[in-house]
Amino acid sequence: MFSSIRMVITMLLITGIAGAGVYVMKLRADNATLKANQLKLETAIEDQTKLLEQQKADFKAIMESNKKLNILINTFKKDLEDLDQRFTKKNRDIGKLAIKRTEAIERIVNKGGKNAARCIELASGAEHTEEELKATLKSKINPECPALANPNYVPHQ
Amino acid sequence: MYHINKILAVAFILLLTGCSIGGEKKIKIFSVEKPREKLNYEMPTPLQMEEIKWIIITSANADEVFKKLEEAGIDPVLFGITDKDFQVLARNFAQIRQKLQETNNLLEEYKKYYEDSNNTQ
Repeated sequence: MFSSIRMVITMLLITGIAGAGVYVMKLRADNATLKANQLKLETAIEDQTKLLEQQKADFKAIMESNKKLNILINTFKKDLEDLDQRFTKKNRDIGKLAIKRTEAIERIVNKGGKNAARCIELASGAEHTEEELKATLKSKINPECPALANPNYVPHQ
Repeated sequence: MYHINKILAVAFILLLTGCSIGGEKKIKIFSVEKPREKLNYEMPTPLQMEEIKWIIITSANADEVFKKLEEAGIDPVLFGITDKDFQVLARNFAQIRQKLQETNNLLEEYKKYYEDSNNTQ
């Protein structure tokens, strides 16, 4: 009787110790999983933060680019208006003027043609000459496309 | 008998927990991000325009103009446009130039946006 009780107690003890061991191992495994999860979450948060920063930078770059293009388009409008004005300013009639002062107008037209050709070269990506870059006076600029040809020229308002 | 029981008990416990020791090795999968190759086109070669000479011809100077052309060995023929069409031509040229500039600027902006290190996809 006594030996049977002893055996049961021993069995219970051994089972208890083994169970405790298994439980500890399970806890360690759970701990490792939780640590891995934590690491993944931290990485995910870092990735999200980076993504948000990237989106902010992209948005800023797009806004700046839009602003630049809008300025350019406004310059185009102004250039065309200036061109129209040159032909029609103070009810000017270029035809009548050409009859009266043929040689002078021919000179002006040829100079204008040369300037316009230079504007096309610059628009296609040609490098500015030093003279073009230095021009700050109205008499020195290319009046066909001052914003493009003479970036340092500031017209008086 | 008592010892046999003990041994059996320990063996039974080992049998139950044995598989959980060590176990299968886990396969590790990792990815390496390789940036997309850049499209390194050169910017288009700038145009080099040739000079053209405009001659204004009126009823008063027509004979003189043709005479000068003949003297210079140039065929005495002119392709004419009216003063109004000259204005239209000037405007058309300005619009072509503006479109060229706009397209070039757009190209530069795209290049800057996509090739900037902050915006590389």
